[in-house]
Amino acid sequence: MASVDKRDLNVPTAEASNESKKKQYREKRKDFRDGQKNVSFEENAIELPRKRFYRQRAHSNPFSDHDLAYPSRPDSMDWSQLYPQFYDQEKKAMTSHVEIADIGCGYGGLLISLAKEFSDKLILGMEIRVQVTQYVQDRIDVLRRQEEDNYQNIAVLRGNAMKFLPNFFHKGQLSKMFFCFPDPHFKQRKHKARIITSTLLSEYAYVLRVGGVIYTITDVEDLHNWMAQHLEEHPLFQRLDKEWEEQDKCVCIMTNSTEEGKKVSRNNGRKWIACFERLPNPDDCD
Amino acid sequence: MKHPFQIIKASSNGEFLVTSVKNTVYVSSLKDGRLIGTWCDELDSSYTILKQHESKLKKLEEAERENEEGDASKKTKTNDSKAVKVPKIPVPGPGAPQIYNYIRTLELSKEGDILVLTTDSDKSVVIFKIDLSAENCLIQMKRQPLPKRPCAVSLSLDKKYVTVADKFGDVYNISIDEQTASQEKDLRPILGHVSMLVDIAICEHGGKSFILSADRDEHIRVSNYPKSYVIKGWLYGHSSFISNLHISSFDSNLLISGGGDDYLCLWNWYDEKLLNKVQLRNLVEPYLTDFHLPPERFLSEDSVKEISISKILTYRHPTSDSNLLFVLCENVKAILVFKIEKDYTVNHVQTLALSTSLVDLTLIESDSVLIGSKDTDSQTEIIEFYSIKDSGNLEVLDNELSKSISSSNKIEVNSREEFYPLYYINTLRKRSEH
Repeated sequence: MASVDKRDLNVPTAEASNESKKKQYREKRKDFRDGQKNVSFEENAIELPRKRFYRQRAHSNPFSDHDLAYPSRPDSMDWSQLYPQFYDQEKKAMTSHVEIADIGCGYGGLLISLAKEFSDKLILGMEIRVQVTQYVQDRIDVLRRQEEDNYQNIAVLRGNAMKFLPNFFHKGQLSKMFFCFPDPHFKQRKHKARIITSTLLSEYAYVLRVGGVIYTITDVEDLHNWMAQHLEEHPLFQRLDKEWEEQDKCVCIMTNSTEEGKKVSRNNGRKWIACFERLPNPDDCD
Repeated sequence: MKHPFQIIKASSNGEFLVTSVKNTVYVSSLKDGRLIGTWCDELDSSYTILKQHESKLKKLEEAERENEEGDASKKTKTNDSKAVKVPKIPVPGPGAPQIYNYIRTLELSKEGDILVLTTDSDKSVVIFKIDLSAENCLIQMKRQPLPKRPCAVSLSLDKKYVTVADKFGDVYNISIDEQTASQEKDLRPILGHVSMLVDIAICEHGGKSFILSADRDEHIRVSNYPKSYVIKGWLYGHSSFISNLHISSFDSNLLISGGGDDYLCLWNWYDEKLLNKVQLRNLVEPYLTDFHLPPERFLSEDSVKEISISKILTYRHPTSDSNLLFVLCENVKAILVFKIEKDYTVNHVQTLALSTSLVDLTLIESDSVLIGSKDTDSQTEIIEFYSIKDSGNLEVLDNELSKSISSSNKIEVNSREEFYPLYYINTLRKRSEH
């Protein structure tokens, strides 16, 4: 793969709204992404990707048969591609496993803020929109280049978490799951497309360990009430109180560091937060 | 010519055979072939549309009334309300897909005293008590409409509930004893997938019940039952959709699953362990036709003919004590017979070639006999009996009953073109492009 010059990535900005320009930009970035493994660069030779070339409409149909790549089972997932520094070449095994998941990670603001806070834990963002995922991936690639020792613990995957979460994670593997500013799906007949439903919560409970936490935040009050109600009604979750929220650093990060969160703050919008702890299974269940 | 039976199900005691054609169910005695029960879904397929139309009108009326009460002072408003368009009943345009109205699933309790079926018209689960002493042995107990079309049913082991899975991926528990149907809005799913469900099964291990649910993706989920919000685990092994879950009759831990893959999976579902994969491709290949190619717009040079499994049955032969497995693939003119050994290795016993494809296959446990529903132009015999020999081999059985049971089917068509879809499992295959 040919080396990519920094200038090549600076697509003229005037007509950047033009779809083909965006595509061109993304393709250059892709060349860079693919070439990165073989070509050496000067330090900081590459700048952070620009969001405007990756914009995609904010909705995606979770029921459609997207052409997704996902492992057939958690054991067949090759995590070393995503977290190369956590792979032990000699033992041929990962030294750590994903413990924190940001479902619908969007442009990756939360991932990046969490990276340093939990530098010893692997954090995975899942996003269903292709271009947005590419953006996050490019962003992480650049951050990793800029600071060799940081951001090795975060990665992003394009996927449909509502369908294929159990293909990625073992029972009780996760300690934290984030649902930040999810698609509100206002119409009643679209409610099943919401990321929090009573039936999906059972799947989240499966991948969360006992004592693990589900974090939700939204700027839509209706959606907040819906999420809180469904979580409260689920026998495997218990709401964490205001006091807990105030002392938890993740709540603070989640409120202030996601792109969507910042946008809401800029517009002086309100944010609703609800966090829930995973309770143990009933004794009579396997 | 007669329309083929779409579903056939024999009671395990060998007393009767339940069959369905379009929206009609027949119960025939397996002793003398007499028709002993029948039921027809009287609602037609426009039912849902009419209901929606009704609710629209109702909403309009309410809005109008509010207008009149609230804005009595504003005369202009009331004038407007007369101009409100009354919604029309939608009529399908030319080229619209045909609306079918048939019975999608039939389920019999082990003892043969309860029959459950699902309808298209009002997307209902209908529960019957079977009383062989009555003139019509089907006694309707309950009809429970659901928000989405049901596609698989299972009876809880205590026979208190019918568990029903729908096309939207949700599973509901319907009480059998509670005679009045619940309001649709009061129904709460007991579990759900974000994918179309294709089969469910309730099974038992160590005195506890579990529910297995399989979807159009590759997932088989094992959940506790009735506390189905606690997921026990997943069975990973399929790479295409699943169409059948079968708990073997001789080992309640043994699950056999199949669908769009070239193989069947044998599982110990409780230990979540894949015991064996049974390859079918080589055996079925000679029987595949152009029908099995992908639809035209997905067809390419290297398209392969696709296998879809339509039926899985197991049987422990009482005299030879061998565990047999029967497999039917969609629109394949053969029945595959295998023997399952103690260590779960599976040996092919026979491929019984047939003159016609079978739409469905059922087992009379007490008689070591299989019955197949034939996809045939025959006017007189649309089912066929096969006896299961000690060796496991099948033999076509000349049985007088086949004529009398066939004659109870009163649904006549002029040509094969008028058949309802007999082979639709392969349409579950995913062909995503983006």
